[in-house]
Amino acid sequence: MEPLSSYVILSSAMLGVGIYGLVSKRNAIRLLFSVELIVNAANINFVAFARYSNPPILNGWIIVLYSVAAAAMEAAVGLALILVAFRLNGTIDVRRLNRLRG
Amino acid sequence: MADIAFLALSGLIIVSAILALEAKELIYGAIWLAFSLIGVAGIFILLGAEYVAMFQVAVYVGAVVVLILFTIMLVQRESGRIVEQEEPGRLGRAGVYVAGLVALAVAGAVVFLVPVSPETPGFYRASLQELGRSLALSYSAALLILGLLMGAAVVGALTLAKVEREEKPLGAAE
Repeated sequence: MEPLSSYVILSSAMLGVGIYGLVSKRNAIRLLFSVELIVNAANINFVAFARYSNPPILNGWIIVLYSVAAAAMEAAVGLALILVAFRLNGTIDVRRLNRLRG
Repeated sequence: MADIAFLALSGLIIVSAILALEAKELIYGAIWLAFSLIGVAGIFILLGAEYVAMFQVAVYVGAVVVLILFTIMLVQRESGRIVEQEEPGRLGRAGVYVAGLVALAVAGAVVFLVPVSPETPGFYRASLQELGRSLALSYSAALLILGLLMGAAVVGALTLAKVEREEKPLGAAE
């Protein structure tokens, strides 16, 4: 059994990849990928900390179940927004979707 | 044994996450994202949470990635060209720096501040009954709110994505 810190390091590496995508990508769908990666990094932490508490508790699992469901909803609404933005502007490059800029 | 599985799964997760963001075609990126999410499900199995892993595969790989694939097809079909634009190299470098900094900070904080899990718990596997009882008794309000939220999200997504066009009688000549 690995120590708890190895799971946390894996999750922070995943967080790093997700933040890299959020900072450097211009395509709205890739930004959605990055958000999913970050949510999954958090989920790994929830399950790992729940497993390594003594005695193991179920709360972490249940939070992950809710978080997965919420992420699925977020993806559905986000993709619908991307479709609408594409229909209105003809592009999903977030740096060209700047009509709301003040 | 578990170490090898953990290392293999970590490699799968990180490599396919990077490939998901860097693949030239968006559609291959979505497939790599699915591999990464399957790797996370494997990590859940290593942690003894098979039920969560099942949920992860069913919802993420079964629903979210398929939804993303359909959206990519819709977006690319309507434009008739590949949507991807070249990223300027400056942004990519900035992204690498920011991400590396954040990941190092988090990992360092954990390694130095969290006590190395005092006594590693032995084999543990919660039963599905235990999980279901906890879900239905202690967390029932959250479950109901989640259901309402899900209904709202579905209605919202449908409303957003609806295409408005004038009604044509069935069977009318084009």
